[in-house]
Amino acid sequence: MQSPSPLPPLFLAATPSSPEIDFRFEQHTLSIKGESYPENAAAFYGPLNAAVRNYCETCHDAQITVHVSLAYFNSSSTKMLFTLFDILNQAAIDGNRVRLNWYHDEDDDTILEFGQELQQDFTALDFHDHAVGG
Amino acid sequence: MLYQEFNEFWDVARKRNIIFFYTGYFSQHVVSAISETIKARLDTAGAAGPTRRRIFSSFIEMSQNVMHYSSDSLTPNAQLDQQMRRGSFCIGTRGDSFFLLCANPVSTENVAQIRSRLEPLHSMTMEEIRLAYKKALREEAPADSKGAGLGFLTLARDASEPLEFEFAQDPQEPGSTIFCIKAII
Repeated sequence: MQSPSPLPPLFLAATPSSPEIDFRFEQHTLSIKGESYPENAAAFYGPLNAAVRNYCETCHDAQITVHVSLAYFNSSSTKMLFTLFDILNQAAIDGNRVRLNWYHDEDDDTILEFGQELQQDFTALDFHDHAVGG
Repeated sequence: MLYQEFNEFWDVARKRNIIFFYTGYFSQHVVSAISETIKARLDTAGAAGPTRRRIFSSFIEMSQNVMHYSSDSLTPNAQLDQQMRRGSFCIGTRGDSFFLLCANPVSTENVAQIRSRLEPLHSMTMEEIRLAYKKALREEAPADSKGAGLGFLTLARDASEPLEFEFAQDPQEPGSTIFCIKAII
């Protein structure tokens, strides 16, 4: 049986109010970087979350690395990101290894605490906190 | 003459320690542009990193409220992106703290509902606000929310005192009420 063709990468350049999205599915590396306060977070993250869900379904025993380096995200982005990590956590429960590198400014308590929330809820993720000096 | 006229106007703002104000239509482009200005302005105002972030976060939540919920819209109501809606926003200083004030018209029939979301926050301790935030994060967003039902909780979390709010009859529009919200940081 022929193995399924690899998923094409997904790249979106950063804008002032939306982060850079660099999902290299073939390399199992997903990166999000920048600031996130799009006008409509559901419209921005909805297709991304769907793509990640689709990708996770093709993964078996994969080593997935996720880098999240957001300097700011608004309340509606927060909700959508929570859903994204839920999808990745499920992929980890299904037998993949998912490493989440969580970057934040060393004095940014809000993003640090959100990372702690993620650890609490999504225990299958291999969470690594990275406080970055200002 | 021209300069004097302008200066009188600006003097009022200066006397009230206003470091930024904007009245008009809010679109995503306007919000991004103001963000850039506010960040630079807060740098020169000497706000500490965490304070700057809280002010910025509160500005975004307030301006997105205007963009999504102000009843004075240049774009059709059914249009869910590239909206342009009217409101007013300012940042000022009072002693060692900053305050953010935001006002926009809302349909009078929505007043009770906005009030029911804000009133409980007023009597909550910071710990209770954090718990409510954690709970809302894990719940389905309310059907009438274009955000996530987290906006006011985020404002309350970033503020150092309970949020203040007020509803005033819009003098120009009978079916419309001015919704005003203030956060101290």
